[in-house]
Amino acid sequence: MLQAPFKETAAYACGTTAISVNKTGEWRFLTPERQFRQSPCRQGCLLQGEVPSWLDAVKRGRWEEAWQIMSHNNPFPALTGYVCFNPCQENCNRDQLDQGIAIREVEKAIGEWRLKNYEPSKAIMKKKRRIAVIGSGPAGLSCAYYLTQAGYMVTVYERSAQLGGMLALGIPEYRLPHRILKRELEILSSEGVVFKTNTSLGSDLVLNDLYQEYDQVFLATGAWIPRMSGLPGEDSDHVYNALDFLSNYNTGVLQKLGSSVVVVGGGNAAIDSARTALRVNGVHHVTLLYRRSRLEMPADQSEVEAAEREGVELIFNVLPRSIETKGGRVKGVTVDHSRTDRYGLLVDSSTSFCRECDSVIMALGQLADYSLFGTLASKQTLFAGGDLISGPATVPEAIRAGRLAAMAIRSVYEDFEVCEQEILAGEVVSFEALNLAAKVNLELQQKEAEPQREAERCLGCGTCNSCGICYLFCPDVAVDQVDGKFEVNLDYCKGCGICVKECPAQAMVMKGGGR
Amino acid sequence: MAFQMISGSQAAATAVQRVGVDLVAAYPITPQTAIVEALADFSAKGELGGEFVSVESEYAALACCNGAAATGARVFTATASHGLAYMHEMIHWCSGARFPIVMVNVNRTIGAPWCLDPDQGDSLSQRDTGWLQLYCANAQEVFDMVIQAFIIAEELLLPCMVVFDGFYISHTYEAVDVADADQVRKLVGPPAFAPQVIPGQPGNLHGLSTGETHLKLVKDRHQTMLRLPVLFNKINKAFAKQFGRSYNILETQIPSGAKRAIVAAGATAETVRWALPVLADTGLIQLRVFRPFPAAEIRQVIEENELTELLVVDRNCSVGMGGIFAQELRSALYELPKPPQVRSLILAGGVDLTEQMLVDLLQTTGNEENFALRWGDEF
Amino acid sequence: MKIAEINRQDEMIYPGHNACPGCGAALAVRYLTKALGKNIVLVLTASCWSIISGMPPLTALKCPILHCPFPSAGSVGSGVRRGLNARGHHDTTVVVLAGDGGTFDIGLQALSGAAQRNEDYIFVCYDNEAYMNTGMQTSSATPFGARTNTAPYPLYKEGEKKDIMQIMAAHTVPYAATATVAFPADLEEKLKTAQKVKGFRFIHILAPCPPGWGTESSDTIEVSRLAVATGFFPLYEVRNGTNWKLTVPADIKSASLSQYLGLQRRFKEMDDRRLNELQHEINRDYQRLLDQVAKVTAETQQ
Repeated sequence: MLQAPFKETAAYACGTTAISVNKTGEWRFLTPERQFRQSPCRQGCLLQGEVPSWLDAVKRGRWEEAWQIMSHNNPFPALTGYVCFNPCQENCNRDQLDQGIAIREVEKAIGEWRLKNYEPSKAIMKKKRRIAVIGSGPAGLSCAYYLTQAGYMVTVYERSAQLGGMLALGIPEYRLPHRILKRELEILSSEGVVFKTNTSLGSDLVLNDLYQEYDQVFLATGAWIPRMSGLPGEDSDHVYNALDFLSNYNTGVLQKLGSSVVVVGGGNAAIDSARTALRVNGVHHVTLLYRRSRLEMPADQSEVEAAEREGVELIFNVLPRSIETKGGRVKGVTVDHSRTDRYGLLVDSSTSFCRECDSVIMALGQLADYSLFGTLASKQTLFAGGDLISGPATVPEAIRAGRLAAMAIRSVYEDFEVCEQEILAGEVVSFEALNLAAKVNLELQQKEAEPQREAERCLGCGTCNSCGICYLFCPDVAVDQVDGKFEVNLDYCKGCGICVKECPAQAMVMKGGGR
Repeated sequence: MAFQMISGSQAAATAVQRVGVDLVAAYPITPQTAIVEALADFSAKGELGGEFVSVESEYAALACCNGAAATGARVFTATASHGLAYMHEMIHWCSGARFPIVMVNVNRTIGAPWCLDPDQGDSLSQRDTGWLQLYCANAQEVFDMVIQAFIIAEELLLPCMVVFDGFYISHTYEAVDVADADQVRKLVGPPAFAPQVIPGQPGNLHGLSTGETHLKLVKDRHQTMLRLPVLFNKINKAFAKQFGRSYNILETQIPSGAKRAIVAAGATAETVRWALPVLADTGLIQLRVFRPFPAAEIRQVIEENELTELLVVDRNCSVGMGGIFAQELRSALYELPKPPQVRSLILAGGVDLTEQMLVDLLQTTGNEENFALRWGDEF
Repeated sequence: MKIAEINRQDEMIYPGHNACPGCGAALAVRYLTKALGKNIVLVLTASCWSIISGMPPLTALKCPILHCPFPSAGSVGSGVRRGLNARGHHDTTVVVLAGDGGTFDIGLQALSGAAQRNEDYIFVCYDNEAYMNTGMQTSSATPFGARTNTAPYPLYKEGEKKDIMQIMAAHTVPYAATATVAFPADLEEKLKTAQKVKGFRFIHILAPCPPGWGTESSDTIEVSRLAVATGFFPLYEVRNGTNWKLTVPADIKSASLSQYLGLQRRFKEMDDRRLNELQHEINRDYQRLLDQVAKVTAETQQ
């Protein structure tokens, strides 16, 4: 560019070499690091799911990646997308800005994507270990999934003709379409899980004998024994327990309830029963009786609200005293008023009344059958989980139990530590801790599909969601994006800390020490 | 080719127009204004070729030229006196940046107090800025040196100052052989130096340097400037071919047998030339180029003619040291085994040199007290 | 090309430059060069950026940088523009970059001259409110009440910060705007607008200086954001000296002046009397701006 005689000295006057030969990272005495912190959704999640991470993947349209992250903790997002009571959503920080993220809808979308786009796993190294899983409910299926993915050969035994346990029998179709479960089971079969139905432990199978054929056994038979109320008239016709009622309904067994139904109980099974009863031919009125107040009701609030919208009459603070019958037929339920005080339930029998009805569904909870354990030979290892151990719980909790069981079984053969999904240290990131001011500089991309638009609203809360603020505000251009993830380039980072301070999700920290 | 009766200022402006420039940025100051106005006239008539910008100060004028030269444009400005002093920082910068800018300085005394007469102290106080300085003795030289300055500057990549005296040259009308543009451009050609700023090409131009690298750059500039004598002769061969006249770095006019000479630069040299017939046994050495200082050429003239006495006319004064040309000359003569005596006449303030002064001076002998140094007010 | 877009190739500044950690000026130039694109020439006067840009044979930017003496920026810009035109580079955007000293003080004459001539380039002042390259001496851009090394405790900067934008508006330049590093999207918008305008354009960028202001290096964005929120440094633009528009309104409810000053050690000795005086100055200037904006709104509605 410069002429002779100036040419020889031109370089001293005209710099053309990139200044990046200066590794200004040497100036640094504090170092920014990406550190994921606990988000409220993740804290709420019964599976400790990496919610912000898979929301981020969805936001960027990376469905496969979203599924991969999801499957760390939850192999059945389609199932949970329908039936989970989404405590994650209730915790969402975004609620304080405008409205919480509809996390379950996105989860469902990931699940549906998985069901549609499933391709059999690439050849997994088979380990020649055979595992028997007893019970095809969510715990058993989850355990089967994780073991299969790790190369184990799994056979699932189911006592009824229908696979799915509570998913098939206990949850009504309107909450979980049959096709979802059907497809999940198909996928598991394609992955190599062998299913044997109509095989009941105790009668068809002897637990000890299983060890002849299998290396380990996972027992996940659930909790199916209805808790009895002991009320007079409980054994009359047209008094059903909730599980029987639901499983009969789900398997198409005709049940005559008459026109007016009373459901006793306040859990999710009670709500499911009430809402299902409304769908039975001939039923015109369903009343739900619960002994405590609405606030104390254990059922999921959104389900309660849905039941009310559908016309279920809810009566709170009433405790059944007896089921009135005439000629073996149910006539009504007599109740006392009741309320909770600090010593327990106070019952006032002076103002009792009778609620007339044609049938009663008792939804007082279930118990597990522990008798099977007695049949086990001594010194034999047995793995068990799900409702069988925890008592009646939720689908995600059972899925988690199955996952933990799979890890426990693997730890017998592999150098493997059983651990919960990494629970992130430190306090949950609060709404106040977020730095939303920086976001004015980010242009929201117009996403085509609804789940992506919804996922885009996620604030990240302690999880890097690739918003790019760190990149934008770095005076040293020392933030790189490697394979979609942001990384600090320590060759040039001077340790100013702007990225940490400005991270909208607060997913970075400054660590002591420089280069 | 045709003779025109024009002033030195018009000669300068016309030369610029004949060479053809991309940009003239200027700010008016007496006695340079006539140049600016003449260039503005060319611009108004659409004859300038490039742009004429009236800026808000002399500093801005040279800064503007500096920016344009960086892009490879041929630029010109003119100033005088306080204007030149005000440019001082940019004057240094242009040279360090190797921008081949041509500037005319019309000598004028620097205040205080205000004074309009042609002291050379303005241009001489820019002695160490790394610019070439060419001093002209009449309007024809102005016209010719402005043209040659462009060739010199662009060849050496150093800025070049063409200097002449206020009023005596700038405002005096003389018959000047004004070449037409075609002939001039045939000689000068379009700007041939490489641009430093090129859009799309990264380059950190004239950013921070260490002392060591700065030294290398200064050395380069010094050695480059010393190439002038050879270049000057080459240019003047071509010039002579084109226009039938030519110039030397030193113009000497020494009658045979003369052992003394008067050394002068600018209009005073012309006065001496006219006075020579009445000054017995005295020659003239006209300093055409002050930077680079023609030390070797002067020594050669002295040795060839065995000169024993030099009378230096300084229309300037470095207070505390004396006449600047005299000083420079003395240091150039130091290497001679038998250097001549150097006498100094100081006409600071731009005082006019008269024939009578020279006659008086030459009658003074080496034994007298005021032999070595005389002031213009003593006559 | 959006500057929030993650694309290494479009960054005009190389990592490894010589700015201090958390430098607002480095960010400002990173944004402005990225917003304006590759076909630019940067004229750079004496300022922190003389150092940040690197020592040849190195360079910190992927465009030509022409260094020039302190007072000359406005004039050198004129020359570069006209020189490029003469050589046919009409599409190249010329940007003159100066600090507050090179704009408000020593460069004001050249700036005024160029603005008055309506020279066709963008003059960008990155304002860190003192002579920071030389170590934090008072400039006429230093806010009232700040401590500097030429106004050390118990002295403080007397007199208000010079309102350079009103000065530029008075030159009726086609486009003038303020911007700051906490709002790069706004900054980008303004530079891109400026790039499309012909004639003289002036962009005044507030660039926090952690060592000079005595802020944590991580607070650069926060302090810049608070400067806007408190009305201390409103973000607006003015076309032809008359058409005023506020681009990011102050949010006085969410930020107080003492919160803004509290992040900066240079205001540590600020007492209530001075705080009130500064608040009064801010309120007065912000109200004047609102009035100017309202006048435009009223006129357009008529």
